[in-house]
Amino acid sequence: MIRRWIGPLIAGAVLGVVAWQGTLTMAPDALMHLALKRVSAVGGPNHFTHAPLATAASRAIVRPSPDLAYSSCPFDLGKGPLLIDAVPVLAPYWSLSIFDKHTNAVLVRNGMKAAYKPFRIAVLAAGQVAPAGYEAVPVDGRSGIALVRILIDDRARFPVIDRERRATTCRVAG
Amino acid sequence: MRSWGRYLICGVAGLLIGGGGAVWSVRAGALGSSDRIGPWTTGRDFGTAQASPYTRAVVALRGLLALPATEARYYNAAVDDAGRPLEGRCTYMIDGGGLPARWWSLTLYDPAGYLVANKPGIYSVGSAGLPSSEQAHWSVVVAPEPQPGHWLPTGKSGRFELTLRSYLPDDGGKGNFTVHQLPSITRGACA
Repeated sequence: MIRRWIGPLIAGAVLGVVAWQGTLTMAPDALMHLALKRVSAVGGPNHFTHAPLATAASRAIVRPSPDLAYSSCPFDLGKGPLLIDAVPVLAPYWSLSIFDKHTNAVLVRNGMKAAYKPFRIAVLAAGQVAPAGYEAVPVDGRSGIALVRILIDDRARFPVIDRERRATTCRVAG
Repeated sequence: MRSWGRYLICGVAGLLIGGGGAVWSVRAGALGSSDRIGPWTTGRDFGTAQASPYTRAVVALRGLLALPATEARYYNAAVDDAGRPLEGRCTYMIDGGGLPARWWSLTLYDPAGYLVANKPGIYSVGSAGLPSSEQAHWSVVVAPEPQPGHWLPTGKSGRFELTLRSYLPDDGGKGNFTVHQLPSITRGACA
């Protein structure tokens, strides 16, 4: 009697391990997909949306920092490379980070590393080529998010920084 | 029972237990649960391809778009120094010193990872807002009602978490802060 269950139990255990691993592997992509949908719903893909400072009502991204001004550019490389013209803002902390669809940060450049000078990035899917003058940043897949973080050490300065951060743009090449 | 019936039962049970167990484990996981330092948990592989599938899933759920350790370190506390869950109806004294990083901030979140509503709209305390005389030693009171000095409101009576962010750590994110460098969390009275 018990012997007839040994094979099915082993098969069930194997499937359990596969389901465990598969769920863990797929969860980040699924959560990133949801975040992309939420962020894109505000301003659409392939251009920056400049969010107000986070409050208790903020739900677009989990665990937002209330000290940072976030500008996000959800991207879809289906129609070509994403070109980012970054202009660091003179703040105690500024950074541009690019996350692929698996939640990996494929590029992080802060204001100090950039010497607070403008720089140009081309986010590329497989087979795409960066235009002249743009630094190539290849990503796995065709979607992800470019995110600018700016530390707001004095909320009274936010309106000024809010204007300055709009100099950073993203768009599809072509 | 026929053979295929036994395989079907065990196969479905395996898939449900494996998949459901993974979801439960991720939902129960703390941000950066790979390293525990006193009441704080952290990890050094956020946002990197080197992160394990489990770490990647927990970070995606609890801190999506977290930066790699070279840029920022995230320390999360859901318990006090005595290991008791942080409760919004209680008062806590957070005592800390200068942290070896360009700047840091301490933020209060609900267990889902969102900021907690409170009347004055105070969500965090950070080094950028501290006077120079308090940079080497600072104290913050976490409590539901207004407090003198630096006050971080719990807003309501449920559980909460504290996240300490340190940007541009002096060591490039190679090591963790020690228990002596990280703030202590001491519980006082509870309503």
